[in-house]
Formats: sequence, structure tokens, C-alpha cells
Amino acid sequence: MTRTFLLAPALCLLTLSSLAHATETPPPPPALQPETCSVEGLMDSIRRGLQSKSPAYRRYLSELLKESAVTLPEAQLRAAFERETEPVMVEHLGAALVAKTERGESPATLQLVGKRASTDADPAVRAASTRALRRTSAEEHTGDLYSRLVRDASPEVRMEAATNLIEDNQFVYAGLHGPASDMAVAAAVASSDSKVTARILDNISTAAISKESADQLHTLLGGDDAQVRAAAAKALGGVPAPEMSRARQTLVALYREESDVGVRTAILQSLARLGFASAVPELTALRNVDPRLSTEVDAWVRALSTGLQEWSLILREKQRLQQAR
Amino acid sequence: MRSSKSRLAALTALVALPTAALAYTAVAPYPSTVTATTYYSSGTYHGAVDVANSRCNYWGAETGVSASVRWNVTVRTSGVVCNGNGSGNQNEAKLDLGSGWSFRQWHWIKTSDSYDRTCNRCQVGNLGGTGNATGPHSHFQKDQYGTKNTSWYSSYTSKGEALDRAELMGYI
Repeated sequence: MTRTFLLAPALCLLTLSSLAHATETPPPPPALQPETCSVEGLMDSIRRGLQSKSPAYRRYLSELLKESAVTLPEAQLRAAFERETEPVMVEHLGAALVAKTERGESPATLQLVGKRASTDADPAVRAASTRALRRTSAEEHTGDLYSRLVRDASPEVRMEAATNLIEDNQFVYAGLHGPASDMAVAAAVASSDSKVTARILDNISTAAISKESADQLHTLLGGDDAQVRAAAAKALGGVPAPEMSRARQTLVALYREESDVGVRTAILQSLARLGFASAVPELTALRNVDPRLSTEVDAWVRALSTGLQEWSLILREKQRLQQAR
Repeated sequence: MRSSKSRLAALTALVALPTAALAYTAVAPYPSTVTATTYYSSGTYHGAVDVANSRCNYWGAETGVSASVRWNVTVRTSGVVCNGNGSGNQNEAKLDLGSGWSFRQWHWIKTSDSYDRTCNRCQVGNLGGTGNATGPHSHFQKDQYGTKNTSWYSSYTSKGEALDRAELMGYI
């Protein structure tokens, strides 16, 4: 089976020559005339296409621009990006510039997008530029950009930056690249927005974080915001082996002192994740601390007693048992 | 019978489950022909995709995934080898997919681009035959804890198919 991938040359537009012939003789077939691919022509096509009601077609256009970016003149692409003020087009042009770096060219084009994400006066453009950096190698080429973006004055930019860190962690690094996970934890700590902090910690893998990042998670457990404490507790559930023992001790102690039910629920999940079947005695000992969560503890104990050896399966089994009441 | 409210809560909980929803497109690293898939012509199990081109050390070997991902590059052979230099000596670009899953690309020749990198179809070396090879080719293998998986390519490519650079091989 053959399936052709998107090809940049397909972008070159072919025009038909005008026809002006007498009616008696059949007209000759139209001659195809090649035109030079240009950023402007491509952008006009995309501007028109983005008005389509089909999300699939809009995604196609976005991919088309990214694929063709490799062959488009960099100077023209840069100029179009710097000139553009409409957020939707800024995002597409930014993604095209970033695609050049991703395909093996210099990081300078990606850094140009990073600069606009942090310095443009319009928050909608900053947010659009931030989205253009999503699921790329941006974390490796932009220094402390993300620690600045999560402190941006605009909540939209802060949240877009959080989404980038989460999706990069999952889709680019599979949650297994220590520096990327450390950067996400550092950004979560640096953010002045507790929703951003909680969202990052709630959704990243901490399987490869350093001791310093683990220390920061322990510190966040003592914060004022329950949402952040719950997210930090959940993040501690996935720490690497050398950090597991300390995390278990901290979480058991915190469970007894904590009053928020959401934080306590997160602690139970993390204890289960850190210990698997060996966490059953710990969980059983905590069962009567909070009567509101005794059924939650029972569900964890039953799920862990199945002997499953993969966390995703244990989590699914626990939820299945809760439904099968 | 449970109420619709509790059913909704249960469905919401399922949405929050972590899923292995990684779906990357695996693509050919250079113009090539598929020379082996699940079994060699001899009948021996292979469990992977081999794509070959005779122009050794001419074509750049691009990473075979159409997405920005982190490649762990291992160089075991520094010289130009086109026809094999022994099992275990292959140069490798490995993509960790989580939960023990890996996607590997073998046999390329080391160049100045052969280092750990995060990129989308970038060169990690040149077409070659390092390791256990009888000619220049690329071996693409998906496995979990060492057990090979064949479903990623079995409906999408077959032996003898000609592939252009970046043409679909399968989904990992």
C-alpha cells in the first residue's frame, strides 16, 4: 500500500493561460504555467482556507505550511512572521519557522518565535507564539523562556505555556527525559499562578526528575493552596526509585496532618503508586484517619491486592472496582 | 440501577486515565525498497521492517518518525561499514515510548550529526550496514521489554514496496 505524505512541491500553484479563440475550432488544451512558490501566495491560500468550517482541513493547511517551510526562503518567512499581527496567522507562521529548526536547521528560527512569545505587546500574539512552540524541541533552545512565560501578565499565556510543558513532557520526551521534567517542575514552582502550578504538576511525568526537583515538590506540600498541595502530592507518586522512600514517609505523615479531602485523596493515590502491593499496610493504617475516605482506601487496597504490575492497569482496576458497587 | 449522575462521574473518571495514546507516523529515511518484514525469505523470524538502498554512505539516514521526538543515539562503530561488521556493532537511534516500549533504527554510518537530539526527521547518520548486515539498509523495530511488535507496520507496508523519503511505513 502506498500513501504519499504531504509534499511541499504540491504547493506550487499552476495557472491556466487565458483562452481566446474563435468558436469554430475546438480550443487547444490549456497550457500549464509554473509559478514560483512564495510565502505570500501560500499565506493567502491559508488565510482563505482557515475560514473553512472543517477542523480537519484547517489542520491539513497547518501541516502543509509546516512541511513546506523546509523549502521556503527563510528570510521571507521571518519577514512575514515579524510583520503579521493576526494571532491565528502568527501561530501558523511561527509553527512554520519552528518546523525549520525541527527538521535539522539552526535553532535561530525557533528562538525568533520564542522571543516574540515573551516580548510582543499583544497577549493574544504572545499566546499564539507560545502555541507555535508546542511539541517541539523549544525547551532545549530557549533557556529560561518557560519560567518567564508562566509568570506572564496574561493568564492565557501562562496557561498556554503550561500546556506546552505538559505536552512536550508526554509527546516529545515520553516523560523519560530528566532535563525536560526538571524544567517543567522549575516552571511550576516559578509560576505566580496557582492554577498553572497545579495543572503542570498534575499532568507531567516525574519519573526522571532530579533530587533538586523532588526537593521542590516536598516544599510545595507545605503551601497554602490546597490545589497545589494535591498536585504536588500526586507528582510525588511518580518519582524515581531513589526518591520513593522519602516520598512515602512524607506523604504518610502529611496525610495525618492534612485536612483537605482533595489533598488526602491525592496522597492515597501516590502511596498506592509508590508502593504497589507493599503499600497495603500503610493504606490500611490510614483507613480510620478520615472516615470520608475509607471507601477510597478500600478501593485502593482491593486494586493493589490483584497483584497487577503496571500502574495504568492498577489505576484502571481501582476505578472499575469503584464503579462496581 | 445506578443513577445517570454516578454513571457520568464514572465516565469522567475514565477520561482522566493515563493512556498510551502515542501515535506517531513511521516513515522511510531515504528512497528505498522494503526488503524484509515479519519473516526473512528463509522463513526465519525478523519481526521488523528493513528498507534498503544500494548507495551506501550516499543517502542521509533521517530519523524515521514524522514528529518532534527525543532520539537516544548510540554509536558502536565509527568507521564506514556497508556490509556488516558483526552482531551488536550496529549504530542505533532509539526512541523511548514509555511503559517499556522502544522504537529503534539501526545500521547507519556515523557522521557529525550522530548525537542525541530532539528533532523531526533529521539526519542521524548516513545509510550503511553497521552491525549484523549483509548490505546497506535500515532496520526499524518496535518492542516492549525486548519483545518485538509487528502490528505497527503489518497493515501498512509489505516486502517489495518502493518507498520515497518520508513515505509511510506504519504507525507506532
